[in-house]
Amino acid sequence: MVKEQYRFSEEAKKVDNITFTISGHHEIEKQAHINVTSKYLYTQDHLRIPIQNGVLDRRMGVNQKDTTCLTCGENINNCIGHFGYIDLQFPVFQIGFFRSTLDILQTICKNPLCARVLLSQNEINKYSNDLLKCKSYLGRKILKHRIHDKTKKVNICPHCGETNGTVKKCGALKISYEKYRNRKNNQEIELKLAELNEVIQINKEMESYRKYHLVKFLNSQDVLELFEEIPLKEVPLLLMRPEISLPKDLILTRIKVPPICIRPSVVSEIKAGTNEDDLTMRLSEIIMTNDYIAKHREMGAKSPMIAEAWEVLQLHCALLVNSEMSGIPFNLQTKKPSRGLVQRLKGKGGRFRGNLSGKRVNFTSRTVISPDPYLEIEEVGVPTYVAKVLTYPEKVFPGNKEWLKKLVENGPDVHPGANYVEKQGDENNKISLRYAKRKQAARDLKEGDVVARHLCDGDVVLFNRQPSLHKLSIMCHRVKVLNSRTFRFNECVCAPYNADFDGDEMNLHLPQTEEARAEAVVLMSDIELLLCNLQNTSNLVTPRNGEIIIAATQDFLTGAYLLTVKDKFLTRDEMNRLAGWIVAGSDINTQIEIPIPCILKPQELWSGKQLFNLILRPNIKNPVKANLRTKGKSYTHGEDLCYKDSFIVIRNSELLLGTMEKSTMGSGSKSNIFYVLLRDWGKDIAANAMWRLSRMMSYFMTSKGFTIGLNDVLPGQSVLCTKEQLLYSGYNKCDDYIKQMEMEKLQCQPGCSIEETLEAVILKELSVIRDHAGKACLNELHATNSPLVMALSGSKGSVINISQMTACVGQQAISGKRVPNGFLNRSLPYFRHYSKFPTAKGFVQNSFCTGLTPTEFFFHTMGGREGLVDTAVKTAETGYMQRRLVKFLYGGDSLDPTYMEGNGYPIELYRIYEHVRANYPSRNENILLSDEIVSTTKAVIEAENFKHCNEVFKHDLRNFLSHVSEDVKRSLNWPCYNPVILEPHRFTKTQFDQFMDMCSTKYAESIIEPGTAVGALAAQSIGEPGTQMTLKTFHFAGVASMNITQGVPRIKEIINGGKTISTPIITAYLDNDTDEDFARRVKGRIEKTVLSEVCQYMEDVHTEYNSFLIVKLDIDRIKLLQLEVDIDTIVQKICSSRIGIKIDQISIENNDVLLITSNGHSVNIDVELQGYKDALHKLVIQGVIGVNRAVIHEESIKGVTHYKLLVEGDNLRDVIATPGVNGNLCTSNNTYQVFSTLGIEAARSTIMSEIKMVMENHGMVIDHRHIMLVADLMTSRGEPLGITRFGLAKMKESVLNLASFEKTADHLFDAAYYGQMDKINGVSESIIMGIPMSIGSGSFKLLQQYPFLKHILRIFEIILSFELEFFQLDEKISI
Amino acid sequence: MAGVLFEDIFNVKDIDPDGKQFDRVSRLHCESESFKMDLILDVNTWLYPMDLGDKFRLVLALTLREDGYPDTGEYNSVETDQLSRADSFEYIMHGKIYRIEGSENAREPNKNKLSAYVSFGGLLMRIQGDPNNLHGFEADQTIYLLMKKLAF
Repeated sequence: MVKEQYRFSEEAKKVDNITFTISGHHEIEKQAHINVTSKYLYTQDHLRIPIQNGVLDRRMGVNQKDTTCLTCGENINNCIGHFGYIDLQFPVFQIGFFRSTLDILQTICKNPLCARVLLSQNEINKYSNDLLKCKSYLGRKILKHRIHDKTKKVNICPHCGETNGTVKKCGALKISYEKYRNRKNNQEIELKLAELNEVIQINKEMESYRKYHLVKFLNSQDVLELFEEIPLKEVPLLLMRPEISLPKDLILTRIKVPPICIRPSVVSEIKAGTNEDDLTMRLSEIIMTNDYIAKHREMGAKSPMIAEAWEVLQLHCALLVNSEMSGIPFNLQTKKPSRGLVQRLKGKGGRFRGNLSGKRVNFTSRTVISPDPYLEIEEVGVPTYVAKVLTYPEKVFPGNKEWLKKLVENGPDVHPGANYVEKQGDENNKISLRYAKRKQAARDLKEGDVVARHLCDGDVVLFNRQPSLHKLSIMCHRVKVLNSRTFRFNECVCAPYNADFDGDEMNLHLPQTEEARAEAVVLMSDIELLLCNLQNTSNLVTPRNGEIIIAATQDFLTGAYLLTVKDKFLTRDEMNRLAGWIVAGSDINTQIEIPIPCILKPQELWSGKQLFNLILRPNIKNPVKANLRTKGKSYTHGEDLCYKDSFIVIRNSELLLGTMEKSTMGSGSKSNIFYVLLRDWGKDIAANAMWRLSRMMSYFMTSKGFTIGLNDVLPGQSVLCTKEQLLYSGYNKCDDYIKQMEMEKLQCQPGCSIEETLEAVILKELSVIRDHAGKACLNELHATNSPLVMALSGSKGSVINISQMTACVGQQAISGKRVPNGFLNRSLPYFRHYSKFPTAKGFVQNSFCTGLTPTEFFFHTMGGREGLVDTAVKTAETGYMQRRLVKFLYGGDSLDPTYMEGNGYPIELYRIYEHVRANYPSRNENILLSDEIVSTTKAVIEAENFKHCNEVFKHDLRNFLSHVSEDVKRSLNWPCYNPVILEPHRFTKTQFDQFMDMCSTKYAESIIEPGTAVGALAAQSIGEPGTQMTLKTFHFAGVASMNITQGVPRIKEIINGGKTISTPIITAYLDNDTDEDFARRVKGRIEKTVLSEVCQYMEDVHTEYNSFLIVKLDIDRIKLLQLEVDIDTIVQKICSSRIGIKIDQISIENNDVLLITSNGHSVNIDVELQGYKDALHKLVIQGVIGVNRAVIHEESIKGVTHYKLLVEGDNLRDVIATPGVNGNLCTSNNTYQVFSTLGIEAARSTIMSEIKMVMENHGMVIDHRHIMLVADLMTSRGEPLGITRFGLAKMKESVLNLASFEKTADHLFDAAYYGQMDKINGVSESIIMGIPMSIGSGSFKLLQQYPFLKHILRIFEIILSFELEFFQLDEKISI
Repeated sequence: MAGVLFEDIFNVKDIDPDGKQFDRVSRLHCESESFKMDLILDVNTWLYPMDLGDKFRLVLALTLREDGYPDTGEYNSVETDQLSRADSFEYIMHGKIYRIEGSENAREPNKNKLSAYVSFGGLLMRIQGDPNNLHGFEADQTIYLLMKKLAF
């Protein structure tokens, strides 16, 4: 009953590797127990006994409860099943090896007497050498390709001189051989064709057959004969391993019959008879066909009949393996789809993904979830119903005997009870307490027995919500058994699970051994439960970037906000009542010290902030002193003096200033009070404070009440007025723009057409309307307005939501543009044709409060629909992306992103400095002088304490402290000598020591543990935020028309590693980046310019004497565009182009006129000139190939405008080579381009910066170490490999890993062909084999293998005894 | 008087210069008469209304006891009522000096100013001026603020 803990076996019976082979003719017989010959399944009487030597023979196993296997004598539970075999009348192709069969045929000589590999002896020697060198799976695959490619082209066998032609696949399972394909007008062919002449004379229709005569079909018999002839010593050249399998095994002459247990025969309850598995049916059909052939062969039937039967046999054998085979002749197609062996393996529900990589477990439950703020952060409320079913096998020992006795007595129906008892030494006999005499069972309970007791308070369980996108989706909780029927947990834990309570369900797993419980607690608890000094990764923070993820949400934020606003004051009884809520759970004995009220007179009043302080630190004896100084959400200016009270100062756990809101209490930030508590005081204290907050806030909110009504969103008079004005002026402006466009007066924006410009300016105008209207209503709202409180506290909604409710819904966008025309030239038939007016293009001027007009409503639903579709599509897409990433990845400074306190840096020095100064006032010490600081710093950093830190960190630390010392120096230089002047930069020895100590330990903590599954973490960190990305594209800063793909599609593009991307953009920096003219000139060089763009006209002229083409250049335009072309360069371009105009055909008349005459050969001069004209129109006279356009990008840095070019196109190499471009700085967003131009390292950094940019644009911060890992992996093979099945196949050696991803069957067949040996050491392989994977430092394994340790001790003893003898000798000598 | 850190008479120069943000609390900008100290002070105006141009006496003290004997740090409302120093004032707050900051003026070191920030349970006070007038101010000191309007 008790699940045995996993122990590494001391004997050598661990699965070390798997070798994939092809079973040969004899091996199949060896493995099998019977020869299956009968096509019948059961005896035809009513007994339904499987027939002897039939497909269901009992010697191959059993599938009914009351029968035993005839081979091993075991029953259904214990019989493992046994193979049988069928001898085929004719050899057939194995569909899985069909490709390999073809490849071999193409590699070897088709002369049945030779059948050697088509390589000369020299080449054989060379490749044999390579073979010896190449051991890896990937290398062997590449070598096979090389040999195959080489031999495919050989026409004459170097050994026997036989002509060899092309072998091709022809239809589903046929191979055609064209022997003379590559030899034209050969005598042999003539001879061969001459054979037909006679026939043709008789039958004219045979004439057309001539071309088919040279083609021959190779049937499986021929191929088998050929393969058998391949000399054994040349098999390695086919990359097969002759000691394991031979080429002839690729052709089936005998097939295995799988055991019954995988193809059970089920007695049907509805109709008489049984339901048989597809495999059984297929096998019996094979036998039937086999019998048919045998009978006909005996009778000596005509060969076409036998051939037909052979084909059927071939097809059945193929379908047995792969029933989804394509190209089956129509007449042989089966109506009903069946499942072949391949289908059983592949796909989501297949053996690999469904059973081997993911296994089904017991001791789980699932139900709806609901919130409960009175539960601790790490607790989960479990219904008694569930607790009575889930059991934990607890062994009886003296300490728990009495308790377990009581549980046994309680039985299965009373909650803290037990369901089963298992006596020691009697594993198979479980006593069910439902039926047994419970009192007696309790009395008989002995030490060593195992009691399956109910789930109890304090048990450790795993709690999970799908989709499990990151490691925080499954966490360990402590059980609290409660009544009612839902799982319950504190709302603070919603974020990691991404759970809400609109009917979500979650899963609960109960670990069954002490070892598993310990592991769960240490690795997966949402906060640490153990009291240990080792700072373990706590799940309060996400490994993505080290931000806190379990933090106050929703009501807690609202409550804390309302409590800590500046003008919230509490009277004595309010203060006491609220403070009383701290007393609960682990705080039940906590002493609460009410502070001195902040206002003593005229009336004693406490501020809300003082109450909040009690949450952090209920009394003075409490050692927790957190420090925080940060800007809030609505911070204005002036630091402490921010008039909106949104600068938060917490000093020694005392909220001195500022209103608490999401950024200082919620998830997703590092300037968070709980984060500070966690980092400086540990997870228990952080979680405890969070729980206190949730308790007190839920009471505070329920007693205060918090509602929202129509009143809250009714706009006042002033808002209505402003909105009216805004609308009026905005609409007028839009009208103006439209008119300007109609008159073509509108100034085009760079790189935009006039329509695009109009869209851009109108969009800008309209968004201004909503923003201003929103601001107007914000100003009007009172501080107690519920939506405003929610927006300000960050608990729900934002300012935009408020302004949409009260003022104006705003522009509806569909894929980033205004509403498109769904009807002819208009969006809805209600509007006029070609109307560009705001309301006609989806601008909603009403608010949700006033209600929308029908057209507005329609536009709004359009926008809403887009959102829905987007989410739906994205879920599927990101799911697949995540799967690919995780399957694929399984950092420079060895720091753990979970522990990063700064943005990517392990420690925020300034915060620690302030923290230490506040925590250790050390009033009786003198301050350190600046020189002292510098000198001690130097000494301390070089000491042992800082040995583990890297140079970058030490450098930062030194820099920081030298700044501190300068500050001290300056304050000492003040002209007055009052001691108070030392206060601002007071830094004493104790503080200094503490500071250095803290830096050192924090750095040590942040070093990643060896053996951490960094790949999985990186994959999760990139994949999980992917689900939250919505916007597809975004505008390039400053240039409206340059869209670049963003969001999930872009991430997909990057990790796919494709050669072409949807929006390639090259950022070209200029040699002289402050000169706009220069930029314009370079732009001209890069951008494609065709001749027609700089021509005034181009016409053909026909005079009496001759005809010619006249080209007149527009010199002014050339100057205007600042193109660097003149008549000479154009002539040059014309001549070097492919039009075919020679230099002597061109005469330069003027500096802007060209004459082009005919070349004199053509018949029709008119047509010739017309052709020239068309070609010249499109002639590129300047620009980089592959570039569509370039846009000048302005950017002002410190008042100076800098210019750079954004080039839309792929040709990075030529852009870099363009004069005027600073090639050292150019970048492209196309990884493959960067790789081919600048090399693999550049590609790596491009991948990193691109992923980072996309994530940042969506406001997501991901530690650069994760991105680095992905980029490293993609580029580690020397070329950028995508995270796809193709890239994976080029990267992974392990077959099981590949097979469990995609194309399961193909990889397995391949592996068998190569005779691949798979070591079991990866994650996928270990999971498939059911072996613990090698993750972590492995120190436990080292310590646990005590026989090994004993061995070492023995050695020590020997050495020691030697030394002792030596000493004794020494002593003797000295005496 | 023992235990007094600072005492002066202030004029209210401005009330809520950035607009009224809170119903019950206003921010006063004041200037002292004798020491020319700058004062920014949040006051609960519902309890103790203040007007522009008001003149008040402000005392910052370490204790409410007349004898200057330091506070126990514990609060006992009955005891507080009996303390004599409270009697002569209309508005009393209790808070903590949490930050002392120097604003440096490189050109004229003589005009260097020191600011002390005090938080009375979230109600902020900043007193800024010549370092010599802030003698005895230390970070983490708890102090009492006592106010009384002066009649004209």
